[in-house]
Amino acid sequence: MICAGIDAGSRAIKVVLFDPAASRPVGTGITEQGIEQARLAEELYDQTLREAGLQRAQVRSVVATGYGRTRVRFADTTITEITCHACGVHHLVPDARTIIEIGGQDSKVIQLEDGGRVRDFSMNDRCAAGTGRFLEVVASRLGVDLTALGELSGHSEKPVVISSTCVVFAETEIIGLLAEGTPARDIAAGVQTAIATRVATLAGRALARPVCFTGGVALQTGMIRALEAALQLPVRVAPDPQFTGALGAAILAARRT
Amino acid sequence: MIPTDSSCSPGGTSGPAPGPSAWFADMVDHCYAFAEAAKARGCPVVGILCEFTPRELILAAGGVPVCLCGGNAETIPAAEQFLPSNLCPLIKSTFGYHVTGRNPFLKWADLVVAETTCDGKKKMFELLGESKPMHVLELPHKADDPDALEHWTEEVRKLKAHLEQRFGVQITDAKLREAIRLMNRERGLRRRLADLMVREPPPLTGRQLIEFKSIISGIPADLEQYERALEWFGSGSAAQPASAARDEARPVRVLLTGVPLVHGAERVLELIESGGAVVVCLENCTGLKPILEDVDESELDPVCAIARKYYHLPCSVLTANTRRLESLRSLAAKFRPECVIELVWQACLTYDIESYHVRKLAEEELRLPYLKITTDYSPSDSARITTRLEVAMEIARARRPS
Repeated sequence: MICAGIDAGSRAIKVVLFDPAASRPVGTGITEQGIEQARLAEELYDQTLREAGLQRAQVRSVVATGYGRTRVRFADTTITEITCHACGVHHLVPDARTIIEIGGQDSKVIQLEDGGRVRDFSMNDRCAAGTGRFLEVVASRLGVDLTALGELSGHSEKPVVISSTCVVFAETEIIGLLAEGTPARDIAAGVQTAIATRVATLAGRALARPVCFTGGVALQTGMIRALEAALQLPVRVAPDPQFTGALGAAILAARRT
Repeated sequence: MIPTDSSCSPGGTSGPAPGPSAWFADMVDHCYAFAEAAKARGCPVVGILCEFTPRELILAAGGVPVCLCGGNAETIPAAEQFLPSNLCPLIKSTFGYHVTGRNPFLKWADLVVAETTCDGKKKMFELLGESKPMHVLELPHKADDPDALEHWTEEVRKLKAHLEQRFGVQITDAKLREAIRLMNRERGLRRRLADLMVREPPPLTGRQLIEFKSIISGIPADLEQYERALEWFGSGSAAQPASAARDEARPVRVLLTGVPLVHGAERVLELIESGGAVVVCLENCTGLKPILEDVDESELDPVCAIARKYYHLPCSVLTANTRRLESLRSLAAKFRPECVIELVWQACLTYDIESYHVRKLAEEELRLPYLKITTDYSPSDSARITTRLEVAMEIARARRPS
């Protein structure tokens, strides 16, 4: 028997098929989020099953998470991304006590108890400051690909200070910096620092170690360094950070049955 | 959770309200008719903007005390022509009603009584005072300072003199005692209604309960309806099968604290209860806070008795506001919440900062999950708030003994 987790995020939909008996994933899939969210999730789910040589009937339970979780029609239930990321990260990094998750439109700091239960959490409210959205805006403004932005920042020797926490204001600030001839690499590094600082503020008081970094933004080279500097703590990246939410959802689906 | 013959959703206002809830669904209309009739009789309408205002004095002066606090997002843009956008929505909405002339009670008001509470209100009163007669009481901010109650009592006496002079009446001790009895009766009835929420499951939702209040105090018909509601919800007919209490899916009992949920601004309460929770205790100025203590009817000087009761209101403008923490402690023991949620209006600095103490109390002392929600009257962040509420409920449920 197999259990499935669907993480319908703001930028990407992720699927994990999990075998509870073997306690490991047997299939994963990812696609970009779009307008027809319900259909996209369903297609990705079926495709991932096909690739794993499985059929829907073999799936015992499906849990959906992510901001689009209620649009996943074939899910048995929904669980928030906080609880799912906590569960997924705990499975992969059992000693993690703090999770920093930066996704397309939110950033979250999750504190775990022994055993992986959520003790406390904080997340950004209305504003997209300190999220992947910020990186997207900057990448497009600098005319580079999102992945190239991370590499670019690695060459910076003098990261700029971005003082605006608001993405819209920050973009104006960046236009000003470009007009002054500031190198793109310094802007890229400055933006990563700004995001990391914002997340460190969200994290607030003393964080329990070890700190595990997950979510799509954890794939950005340079973000780990920026986060370690802002938190003044070593940060570990979760394996396959884009999938920890879907993995957690799949594991929680297994526990439900 | 609600009597079987009702079709009222936790949303409260949708669909026909059950029994006595129907009366309060038209609360503003009743108040309008009441104030209009009083005005026609020559009774002054006195606007109030805070729970610190001793309504007893206004009633004893033959006036109609009416709460003018705004809970409507639509009046905010008009207010922002005069007030900074980075100000709490309650102040902006209240003032916006003044700018747009959309609040008939404010138009009718012969006098507006206010206090030096937070900076935003205090300075807004100056603007309101340009076109409305205002009387501002100075509220001492150092709670429990030896001189504070004395000073506050003097301020209450000055209000009494002001009302007498402005309306050409004499506020006798007998009239004051009558007003005290009336207000105590109203507070007592509302308190008993709120106390029904100690039951598991509670006989009504928090959204239903918050309807049981009126912007004008002491309306005889309201008092009758409070009595009816007590019978209606207090009777055994509202009880649920015992098995429901064991259900893992039973609603999470929530204590909601922080800023007031003015009529029309109940969105967060609705979001909480639509996500598998029930607000069993509302510890704010639109809930239990102002009705927990009565005015001592036996005290020789009624003005002193009134001053004392109001001075005890644990508002975040006071420093240090330890009385609020004491109140939260005893309310938590009584209502047995499984989660504490704090609501802070954007730019309400005093509640925002004080949340540090409330979080500490909830997490370290009461050992309950705590969630702070900072928002305003705009619904743009409802989806994000819902997610955070869902997490809080998941945490609270995970802590239930299995």
